Amino acid sequence: MKKSILIIALLCTVIITAQSKYQTGMQKAFGLWEQGKMTAASQLFERVSKAEPTKWKPAYYAATIEILESFGLKDEAQLKAKLTKAKELLDVAKSNSENNPEIIITQALLNTGYIAFDGQKYGMTLSGKNSQLYAKALAIAPNNPRVILGYAEWNMGSAKFFGKPTQPYCDEVKRAIQLGKEEKIDEEFYPKFMTSRAEEVLKGCEK
Amino acid sequence: MKQLLLFFCIIFQCSIIAQTTISGKVTDKKGNPIFGSNVYLDGTYDGGSTNEKGEFSFETAEKATQTLVISFISFETYIKTADVSALENLQIKLRDDVNSLDAVVINAGMFEAGEKAKVTVLKPLDIVTTASAMGDFVGALQTLPGTATVGEDGRLFVRGGEAEETQIFIDGARVFTPFTPTANNIPTRGRYSPFLFKGISFSTGGYSAEYGQALSSVLLLSTIDEPDQEKTDISFMTIGLQVGNTQKWKNSSFSINTSYINLAPYLAIFKDRNTWNKPYQSLSGEMVFRQQFKDDSMLKLYGAYSYSDFDLLQDNINFDDGFRIGLNNRNLYFNASYKNKFGNNWRYETSASFTNDHTNSKIIKDDLQSNENSLHIKAKLKKRFSSRVRLSFGTEYFNTNYDESYTPINTNKLKYGFNNSILATFIETDIFFSKNLAAKVGIRAENTSLLNEFTFSPRASVSYKSGKNSQFSLAYGQFYQNPKNDYLKFSQDFDSENTSHLIANFQSVKQGQIFRIEAYHKAYNSLVKYTDLQPNFTSNFNNNGDGFAKGFDIFWRQNGKIKNTDYWVSYSFLDTERDYRNYPTAARPSFASKHNLSIVTKHWIADWKSQIGFSYQFASGRNYTNPNEPGFLNNETKNFNNLSFNWAYLIDQQKILYFSVNNILGTKNVFGYDYKNTPNTNGNFDRQAIVPNADSFFFIGFFWTISDDKKSNQLDNL
Repeated sequence: MKKSILIIALLCTVIITAQSKYQTGMQKAFGLWEQGKMTAASQLFERVSKAEPTKWKPAYYAATIEILESFGLKDEAQLKAKLTKAKELLDVAKSNSENNPEIIITQALLNTGYIAFDGQKYGMTLSGKNSQLYAKALAIAPNNPRVILGYAEWNMGSAKFFGKPTQPYCDEVKRAIQLGKEEKIDEEFYPKFMTSRAEEVLKGCEK
Repeated sequence: MKQLLLFFCIIFQCSIIAQTTISGKVTDKKGNPIFGSNVYLDGTYDGGSTNEKGEFSFETAEKATQTLVISFISFETYIKTADVSALENLQIKLRDDVNSLDAVVINAGMFEAGEKAKVTVLKPLDIVTTASAMGDFVGALQTLPGTATVGEDGRLFVRGGEAEETQIFIDGARVFTPFTPTANNIPTRGRYSPFLFKGISFSTGGYSAEYGQALSSVLLLSTIDEPDQEKTDISFMTIGLQVGNTQKWKNSSFSINTSYINLAPYLAIFKDRNTWNKPYQSLSGEMVFRQQFKDDSMLKLYGAYSYSDFDLLQDNINFDDGFRIGLNNRNLYFNASYKNKFGNNWRYETSASFTNDHTNSKIIKDDLQSNENSLHIKAKLKKRFSSRVRLSFGTEYFNTNYDESYTPINTNKLKYGFNNSILATFIETDIFFSKNLAAKVGIRAENTSLLNEFTFSPRASVSYKSGKNSQFSLAYGQFYQNPKNDYLKFSQDFDSENTSHLIANFQSVKQGQIFRIEAYHKAYNSLVKYTDLQPNFTSNFNNNGDGFAKGFDIFWRQNGKIKNTDYWVSYSFLDTERDYRNYPTAARPSFASKHNLSIVTKHWIADWKSQIGFSYQFASGRNYTNPNEPGFLNNETKNFNNLSFNWAYLIDQQKILYFSVNNILGTKNVFGYDYKNTPNTNGNFDRQAIVPNADSFFFIGFFWTISDDKKSNQLDNL
């Protein structure tokens, strides 16, 4: 009996601390993402975004997943459909949070999706745009580790294409890792710095 | 305590009872289940995804009327508003999204370049990296099927049509004088810089009712909406230099380009067949201002000015001292366009262009002056009734005021010219019956003041997608065009010239490869005929000419199958005859070749940071009249061959060294023959071959881009 009381009491506290629907939704979506259920996660983020039309994060994460999934696609129709969707979601995010460096670099990542698919067709117009986007993000948030890492990776990509050493960008990646460790995030569900991925990038650059 | 537990159980129970189940099955039109579609009640957190069987089921605590939304990529979003209790065991068929990339495209006759296009035949970089194009967008288009190689002219000759039968539009407004003036058999170039355009649509026939006054072809250029970044471009070339700069602000941008071309240094080293009193030079400038407003509305102002002059003596069999042509030309072009959205899925687009072109020329010892002022104003409305039905209609006005004065040596000045206005209106609808079947139907009506004539042109095309990668298209249209300025300035008693096009097209597109074949039949009516050697005041003109052109075009492009190599092949077969101008009988005109072939290859060598390219052009012989034999256009020249080579070396991301040679093998091409007006002592007419001024042409350029992006590392490594 005591046990059941305890259970009920616990249940009560859960109800009382009243996780908002928003938090539950976001947590569930992150859970799906961790399990590798990308489509389901993206769709849940999208649903949360529709239900919370003033928040930027759900749309931002839904777009991010669509973009990540587009890499490696072989069918242009599918690629375009995915990235067009991602663009719409990013536009929603942008309208709720202007000049947000996280959104700006995700826009650059979206362009990279096109360039990676067909550099000849999209490279000429989009690579200039990307340099602009990173410069803008860097001006807003000079010490944001995600921005620094994204920019370094972008520059490494172009350096590789032009047969130049990628070494000069290692320091930037290292700086990003350091800043990522020091970074304190107070905002709930704010994008985190992926140290493990940055370390992979660092390995690639030191080669 | 038990009671308490019970109480909680009841609450729990209650909450279960309060839930409503939303369930159903989602399939495509054919009943195949759609896996992974997003199903939710709009504005709530309640929803789920469909499983492998297309089924979904979720619970909601929402009450009363709700909106169920089902969305999945490449299908139209399904929306149903109903009481939650009615949203159970639904059977939902999603409709295909007809705007997705894999839907049918109405494309008979049309080639598109640029990233917005669904099927890109040419990519933006192709225009500057095609060996034979030499940086001219028209040169790159000449490697597409349906165009003919007319080496001494340089303009676009499409499917048996003359160069004047192709009209060029920038942002919807007509360009009246798109080419720089040149002397006989020196090919001309387009006036405008290829980097200003984000998209090029080139139609070789059967085009939309929106475009008129073109018998054969339209070339639609759209300028960039928003430049990528602030930058300065500097180019040093063997033939001159170019400087450009772009500035950006929050919602607006401004670009300026200037160039100065002078052939004197080049001609001093590589002499050609002419005696140049004054080698070709030109100074030109372009400016674009773009302003973006809310809701995609946009204003663009484009202005271009150019001045060019030259004076030369060409070898000519009928003139012992040579044939002198001196010329100076100034050209002003202004173009404004504005587009906006309003109401419920309405858009409007307006554009206006104005051209002033003034040429002074000296031909032997005679003076010729011409002045043209032309205006085009257009307004267009588009309404999207649904993703499947669209309507566009509009009206446009053209005015051309052309004056010429001719002063033969020791004679009085002769003045003549014309003023002509055309008022046109068009309406057209696009209908998607399904993702696989679409049609476009339109009509155009035009009234020409000078000819006092009313014409009516129906246009229609239909496309059917026969497989995942392939589709068939058919197009038909009537096209009218006023007789060219060269005739109108001497007489105005004309009807419009007319063609009808019938086109059948098959296209197959896979990742990295495009194949298309197109057959066409064109019938020409009411072509202008005249009585003299050259049209003049005393000529008798009539509209009794006619002709036909039929044939087929093949295009094949493959990218990446051979590592780092991109290539395309175009072949055109043309069978044409005309009875027009001063022809005594119907014959294949001298500009037309039966067979045209272009092969363009590009190969990227990473170790050299270089792209090398070759392009090969072949055209079978062209007709000419040999007065020593009976008949008209009774002989054919030898075949035309041209192999060009280019090499672009990327010094770094922003510095490019470019080298190209046109006709690397130095093939002696002949475009035709000039015969002496009088026979020699044996009673035969002597002849002189019409040949290029120089067999080969070299070009070396250094292109340097400086972007204002100071954070950029692109230059740090130098």
